[in-house]
Amino acid sequence: MRRRDFVKAMMAASMSAKTMLGQQASTTVAPSTPPPVPTAPGPVPWMRGLMEVKPLPMTPLVPDAVAQTNAHFFNDQQMATLRRLCDILLPPMRGYPGAINAGTPEFLDFLIGVSPAARQQMYQSGLDRLDKEAKQHFDAPFASLNSSQADQLIRPWLKTWMTDHPPTESYAHFMNVAHSDIRTATINSQAWSTAASASGHEAPDQGIYWFPVEPDLQRKGSALQKRRRS
Amino acid sequence: MAEEIVDVLIIGSGHSGGMAAKILTEKGISCLMLNAGPVADAHKDTEMKPAYALPFRGFKEPGRLPHVFQSNEFNANTWVDEQEVPYTYDPQHPYNWVRVRLFGGRSLFWSRQSFRLSDYEFKGKSHDGYGDDWPISLADVAPYYARVEEIFRVRGRAEGLPQYPDGNFVQDDSPWSGCMQRFIAAGKKLDVPVCKARSSQGVDGLASSVNLLLPDAFATGKLRAIPNVVVRELRIDPNTGLVNEAHFVDRLSRREMSVKARVIVLAAGTLESTRLLLNSKLANSSGVMGHYLIDQIYGAGIICSVPEARDGKATPDLMGGNALVPRFRNIDSKAKNFIRGYALNVHSVTGAMDPRWFAAYGEELQNKLDSYHGSGFGTGIMGEVLARYENHVSIDKNVVDAWNIPVLHIDTKYTDNEFNMARDAVDMSVAMAEDAGFEVLSKNYDPNPPGYSIHELGTCRMGDDSKISVLNKWCQSHDLKNLFVVDGSSFVSSGWQNPTMTILALSMRASEHLAEQMRIGSI
Repeated sequence: MRRRDFVKAMMAASMSAKTMLGQQASTTVAPSTPPPVPTAPGPVPWMRGLMEVKPLPMTPLVPDAVAQTNAHFFNDQQMATLRRLCDILLPPMRGYPGAINAGTPEFLDFLIGVSPAARQQMYQSGLDRLDKEAKQHFDAPFASLNSSQADQLIRPWLKTWMTDHPPTESYAHFMNVAHSDIRTATINSQAWSTAASASGHEAPDQGIYWFPVEPDLQRKGSALQKRRRS
Repeated sequence: MAEEIVDVLIIGSGHSGGMAAKILTEKGISCLMLNAGPVADAHKDTEMKPAYALPFRGFKEPGRLPHVFQSNEFNANTWVDEQEVPYTYDPQHPYNWVRVRLFGGRSLFWSRQSFRLSDYEFKGKSHDGYGDDWPISLADVAPYYARVEEIFRVRGRAEGLPQYPDGNFVQDDSPWSGCMQRFIAAGKKLDVPVCKARSSQGVDGLASSVNLLLPDAFATGKLRAIPNVVVRELRIDPNTGLVNEAHFVDRLSRREMSVKARVIVLAAGTLESTRLLLNSKLANSSGVMGHYLIDQIYGAGIICSVPEARDGKATPDLMGGNALVPRFRNIDSKAKNFIRGYALNVHSVTGAMDPRWFAAYGEELQNKLDSYHGSGFGTGIMGEVLARYENHVSIDKNVVDAWNIPVLHIDTKYTDNEFNMARDAVDMSVAMAEDAGFEVLSKNYDPNPPGYSIHELGTCRMGDDSKISVLNKWCQSHDLKNLFVVDGSSFVSSGWQNPTMTILALSMRASEHLAEQMRIGSI
């Protein structure tokens, strides 16, 4: 009797284990299958329909079309000198905007502000010297010089030069590189491009832009980011 | 886990690796190709954009790619990031190491100038006593040059000059423009030859491994390729003493893996191949690995204006085209203060002039640009850099790249021979331009930093004597018979010529030798 009870008990235990396992098998994932990716609370159609959506009828706006760059790198005197230098070197002409209209001084303030220290120092010392020479020669800041006065300070330093080889003397280097930068920043501006289109010319600044090709996931960050963090 | 042993492992997918893959697979040999970077798809990875829509208005991102003068904001993502894969040098002696790791390597972007070396290069020591001769001559390489020129469809014209060997050309019958005729006439007075340039036409405008070499290799069914794997080290089989394994790291995940091979063909580009061998500490019984780094001087030259072409008078008859002045110094006579020689790239500018060529601004500058439009004429040097033992690369144990692989320290500089050569090139250019009646607007005597030409060569030079060379004349390691290095690192001297045709011909020659050695069971 005791033996029969034991067998019954074993069978019952076996049945219930089998049932439990059966229930388990029907509700759990096989060991070799990865667990499902957790979703937001509740079953949501996470990305459904995205492949079918039509592109929006929009042309992305660049901020320069509606907004001003906030200058903060150069001090007030340097910025005033740079503005006047921009106005002198590339004024508006023939239906095209000048450097001031293209927001070039503010753009260069941004660009130089995030540049390596040597480039920053070259610009700052160059602008300081230009203003100092204006005060020495004309007893006035460069920002208030007329075109003739400014020409006397600029022209002696302008040199011809070939790609990658600007003048090596530091002040001549500043004057010629700044001139080149002012032209590039202006001709590459949206204002210039718009003027070119309006006059029926092809915009000069179109190019094939390469996106990052499978960028490294663990890239430690660009030089720019590093400088900003430091 | 895969335990396969591949027949030939090719590391690198540029011109040299692509040629090795094509030759070996067409002879029925199975190859596996590893490439450090991803496969680029110009349709997917590019977009036409105006400069104003870029973050820095077309200026380079400040501080990024400071040694890649060729880079700009449009193409910055195609070059090797100098922070991911840095290198070191003495700040007094900078080096511009310009690299591409996309599948196809630098064969995707190159100037297409296609020249043979002459025996003034292969046998330079025999000619002037300096350095060492190559263990091969033009006659050894000529049959391979001819086949490479056919594949790459090199356009040129036979000139009959020994220092500018003729080849298997797509005939260039184009007439000279007027400005070029005047420059040619000026050259004749000074005994300077002005010839048609030679250039790879390729197919559909592209002359790359990815369209001229690799498709043939894949078509055999014998080539497999893995992108995005950075080879860390090659290893030796202790039982055979031969190289039999490459240890690599997945570029994106950092998973470390290895693959076994019967033969390894290194084609990672001169300095990357040498870096890998130095990090692996093998194939250097001579001790000269890393030494004799050479390249070519670029950057010196002049820019002129052809007066008759100004003010809207530039016509196709007067302006346009380009030319090449092959080496003319130290052929039949001796230059006063340098040995070897240089070539000049000569070009006519039919479009806008560069504002930097005028010392003017504002309205005055704009008037100049308008007046001079289409009247430009320029020359630029391609000069031989002498092979010197002291110009070398080594492993910098204190710096690693993004995959913890020790980087290269590059120790090289130009000397008076190169500077005097550059000065002579500019002075000769000015003399010819002025004789032709051109106005010289600007000139530059200073070469760009070493490396700028993207023609880094040597560091695993070939030779018959295993005590003073790394490779034999088949680009095969003296130490490890199943290791071949088929990129530019085998060069003994640089010459003035763009080295691409020579790299391709040597890779073809080495690969056919390897295939034959495998066929007879020697390897």
